[in-house]
Amino acid sequence: MQTLITKLEKLSHLSGISGREDAVREYILKEIAPYCEDVMVDAAGCVLAKKKGARPAEKRLMLAAHMDEVGLIITRICEDGLLAFAPVGGIDPRVICGKTVTVGENRIPGAIGIVPIHLSSDKSSVPNIDSMYIDIGTTSKEESEKYVTPGDYAVFDTVFEPFGDGLLKGKALDDRAGCAIMLELMKRDFPNDVYFAFTTMEEVGTRGAKCAAFTLQPDYAIVLESTTAADIAGVAEASKVCKVGKGAVVGFMDRSTIYDRELYQRTLDIARDKNISCQIKQAVAGGNDSGAIHQSRGGVRTMAISLPCRYLHAPASVIAKSDFEAVCELSYQLALSILAN
Amino acid sequence: MAVYEIINGLAQAIGPAGAEGGAATLAAQLLGDFVPVRRDALGNVIAEFGKKDAKEHILLDAHIDEIGMIVTYIDDDGFLHISGCGGADRRTMIDAEVYVHGESKLPGVICCMPPHLTDPANRSKVPDWDGIYIDIGYNAEKARELVPLGSRVIVRSKPIKLIGGKICAKSLDNRAGAAALIRVVELLHGEIDKLPCRVSVLLSTREEVGGQGATTAAFALAPTQAVAVDVSFARQPGAPSGSCGVMSSGPMIGYSPILDLRVTEHLRSLCKEKSIPWQNEIMGGGTGTNADKISVSRGGVRTGLVSIPQRNMHTAVEIVDPEDVENTAQLLAAFVRSGGANIDN
Repeated sequence: MQTLITKLEKLSHLSGISGREDAVREYILKEIAPYCEDVMVDAAGCVLAKKKGARPAEKRLMLAAHMDEVGLIITRICEDGLLAFAPVGGIDPRVICGKTVTVGENRIPGAIGIVPIHLSSDKSSVPNIDSMYIDIGTTSKEESEKYVTPGDYAVFDTVFEPFGDGLLKGKALDDRAGCAIMLELMKRDFPNDVYFAFTTMEEVGTRGAKCAAFTLQPDYAIVLESTTAADIAGVAEASKVCKVGKGAVVGFMDRSTIYDRELYQRTLDIARDKNISCQIKQAVAGGNDSGAIHQSRGGVRTMAISLPCRYLHAPASVIAKSDFEAVCELSYQLALSILAN
Repeated sequence: MAVYEIINGLAQAIGPAGAEGGAATLAAQLLGDFVPVRRDALGNVIAEFGKKDAKEHILLDAHIDEIGMIVTYIDDDGFLHISGCGGADRRTMIDAEVYVHGESKLPGVICCMPPHLTDPANRSKVPDWDGIYIDIGYNAEKARELVPLGSRVIVRSKPIKLIGGKICAKSLDNRAGAAALIRVVELLHGEIDKLPCRVSVLLSTREEVGGQGATTAAFALAPTQAVAVDVSFARQPGAPSGSCGVMSSGPMIGYSPILDLRVTEHLRSLCKEKSIPWQNEIMGGGTGTNADKISVSRGGVRTGLVSIPQRNMHTAVEIVDPEDVENTAQLLAAFVRSGGANIDN
């Protein structure tokens, strides 16, 4: 458990917004080297690798998690030195107001400001993202140009740490948690070869996964993701989707995939038989790499196993250690089951 | 001490209105290096020095309290319900990281609206305080044990240095002002015996909830003239430029119907004399600072106002230029050395 958390801490602090997953990719390439062969980085930037099993693959199983996180991209440097930006991936404007970020490879610190409430006619609304800006302390376009360039990315600067009763808080838990689990699973034994895909650009349209699935040609896929837990105050019980601490999340349908019915049922059965904490996702909401994978080539039988995560797509997200472990175990057991049958 | 260091230290201290504890203690310690300091019934930090029997008694005030939140209720799932304490900006609270000061300091996260429950057309509205909750990651039983009702909540924000030496942190309103006054005392302490007037430096409590600290201290100290130091609006996108000063252009000297003309004029002429950059802040009535309270203390006190230009007021990412704070300190030290404005009739 502790290695899983240590890896997640490292991954959470790396900067890897969609399309610029470099730092995460480098870390993963280093970590998987002792365990995998046929490692390649494809044209979309995905890391594809084969973990050798006792025998070659009879049916191809691919495990997938995405390396990218949501963030911001600098669109323009204004005359007064402030930086205009656009979101990369879906970001609610309310979660970035009044927060700090670091910009570009030199990690220039900046603040996303807002007009003081005293001077605002509307004290309950935040501006649109296209009227927000990052303030790095400069006073002119010329000065800013010494430090940043349009196209630089700005990433949240959340510190990863334990939280409350067995919880973890950090940025990019969606989906560095999935990546950390894949790094752990890679160390385990499989009866047959298994393929691992660390994908890119999930947050901007599951683009890496589309390419990775085409290349690896899996028959089966297990996607390790994070999914929105709305088990917070002010939300009706029926709308909570899933709960932090209540186990690995297994879904029947989301906005881009209807999951393989037999795999779905099998996953629930395995969880029950192996006593792995598990819950059903109680909403049709969200989407993930399964959307691209299940419709690759002639079709792929796909299942997603997710971590319940509060405050997804926001600087401070929260997951439970116990769920982290449950997703790891359940995905391993499902993989074994797929390879066996 | 370099003014940046004073601001940096004070900005990290905890001191919401009515519970100024940590911040007041630190400020008292910093002042106490130079002059004797005492506290009063409402927690004000007061330093008195200078010529005891002088005719002029100058009061310099900066409020030491910051805005924050307070726990009103813990629900059956362990989430904390809160109210604002001072005008905290709810628009910057969603997914904010906070510390809850209960039995111990607990990290927390302010809940966000779940995306599947948010209508894309309504993604700009922030709920009222009764729709904002704090997640500390505990069940109800444990949360109730760890967090007494009335516990304070402060946004978690480590000061960061921006380009040009500017500081970005919580509570620069008004730790920047308090830092200016600590620097004033530091600048004057070698000449305390030679000052022509009596001086009281007041780091007042509760400004954000009604100014009760300054009201009571001004009554007790009974100065003949006063200058309040606070922060005010620096130009930033969306802010009407008529209401704003410009960051790094020096202290904003207040000019308003309720501020004393002679004190105001004296502040301006000192700037010109000592080549201290300054700018106008012209207002139509009340200033929204302790100056409003001090100026009508007892039979009236001739009061001026000096403000440090600041962006993003009442958020965790307030920004000031330490140069403006230093220039404010230089101005007020000059004010004291000159014995204040000539207010004889």
